[in-house]
Amino acid sequence: METNLQDNVCEEEVFGSIFKANSKTVFNYIYYKFGNEEKAHDAVQEAFVKLWENCSKVAPEKAKSFVYTVANNMYLNVIKAEKVRLKYADKTLRTTHESPEFLMEQDQFQEKLDLALNRLPENQRTTFLLNRIDGKKYAEIAEMEGVSVKAIEKRMHLALKSLREQIDGI
Amino acid sequence: MQENYLAKWLNGELTEAELAEFKKSDEYAAYQRIIEASSSLKAPDFDTGEAFMAVQNQRTLKETKVVQLHPFKKFLRVAAAVAVLVTGSYFYLNTLDETIATQYAENKEVVLPDDSEIVLNADSEISFSERKWDRERNIDLEGEAFFKVAKGKRFTVATKSGVVAVLGTQFNVEHRGDFFEVTCFEGLVSVTFNGKETQLPAGSSFMAINGNVVEARVPGTTVPSWMGKESSFKSIPLKYVLAEFERQHNVHVETQNIDTDQLYTGTFSNNDAQLALKSISVPSRIKFKFEGNKVLFYAENTP
Repeated sequence: METNLQDNVCEEEVFGSIFKANSKTVFNYIYYKFGNEEKAHDAVQEAFVKLWENCSKVAPEKAKSFVYTVANNMYLNVIKAEKVRLKYADKTLRTTHESPEFLMEQDQFQEKLDLALNRLPENQRTTFLLNRIDGKKYAEIAEMEGVSVKAIEKRMHLALKSLREQIDGI
Repeated sequence: MQENYLAKWLNGELTEAELAEFKKSDEYAAYQRIIEASSSLKAPDFDTGEAFMAVQNQRTLKETKVVQLHPFKKFLRVAAAVAVLVTGSYFYLNTLDETIATQYAENKEVVLPDDSEIVLNADSEISFSERKWDRERNIDLEGEAFFKVAKGKRFTVATKSGVVAVLGTQFNVEHRGDFFEVTCFEGLVSVTFNGKETQLPAGSSFMAINGNVVEARVPGTTVPSWMGKESSFKSIPLKYVLAEFERQHNVHVETQNIDTDQLYTGTFSNNDAQLALKSISVPSRIKFKFEGNKVLFYAENTP
């Protein structure tokens, strides 16, 4: 990462690039956990204002895990997860050749997936979505959550397993 | 099949054999479907630029707060230090003695807290504690001064040679080096010299030169002569007379071939140096040369 070359987060430029690289993921991370957009916005604010206040104490390479830790701690034991509402990319253009039956069946499947996702434990859902939506590698997720890569693999495995069971059962 | 094979599969970490086995399983299609469907999932919209602006705003808000707080804290710190210094020096100065001094050719009048008056002759210094004045009327004297003491408790004048104590009176004390003289003009003065106390009634003097008590002249006036701008002497060694001349006229005195222990009786003016020099030299049969700020006394028979 280019920010590694700098040694001070207090530099306006360094701070800006850290923000650009991580703010969206911090937002999603908190949203996947609790399903609350407002709280996710607040978490981004809190995390990066804290980072700025402590900019002289946080090395740029540690800044990433710093903001996730702050965001995570902010709602630790405070709020209960709400329903996570996710949108689907508009596929109508791509799927014009599909039959109406197929489209309907697909909508139903997506509905089931939505429901199943919301029934997942918070840490499995977060891991699954960070990987699927944000394309985060297991190692990156492990860093955010402060656990081992193996633990993330376990969560991913369990998430997929229960998603399938849920969808098949509905 | 290895542990967490679903996660491995997703990451493309399965061996070919494992992958083949997995593909044959009933669930494979379902997993495939979940992965396909979830790849088109989207998180809520998030405007990075807007969020950054919000963070910047909050930052400046917090920074402004810091800027506002800082000078106030600094001010408090400075104010506390100043307060400590002021109170400290107030108490310190309060305990210090009041000191009043005169230069050569200078007289000064001092009024004490109890309305007693002191007139300081040239080159003299008094000090006393204003704070303790109510309890203890005590003056330290170096040089010569006339005292007009208001009636009240014991009033003492301490010099290095002796202590003068009175209740309320007018008197003159002179102490210079080894010369010590007390003259009482009114009331009764007690002089303690070398541990011996002498009662001095009005119109009498006590004098000690070089530690020896000598008979003193009787003053014919009600105030010391120096207060009338004159200095008068009766059988006083010449060196003390010359020293007094030096103090009154701020003129440096030098002597050559003359006996400064010879006794002098007379009066010289404290205003007119020429006249004073004549008053000293004529009775003592010596000559003088007066130049600028210096006067040289020499014997008549030397060239």
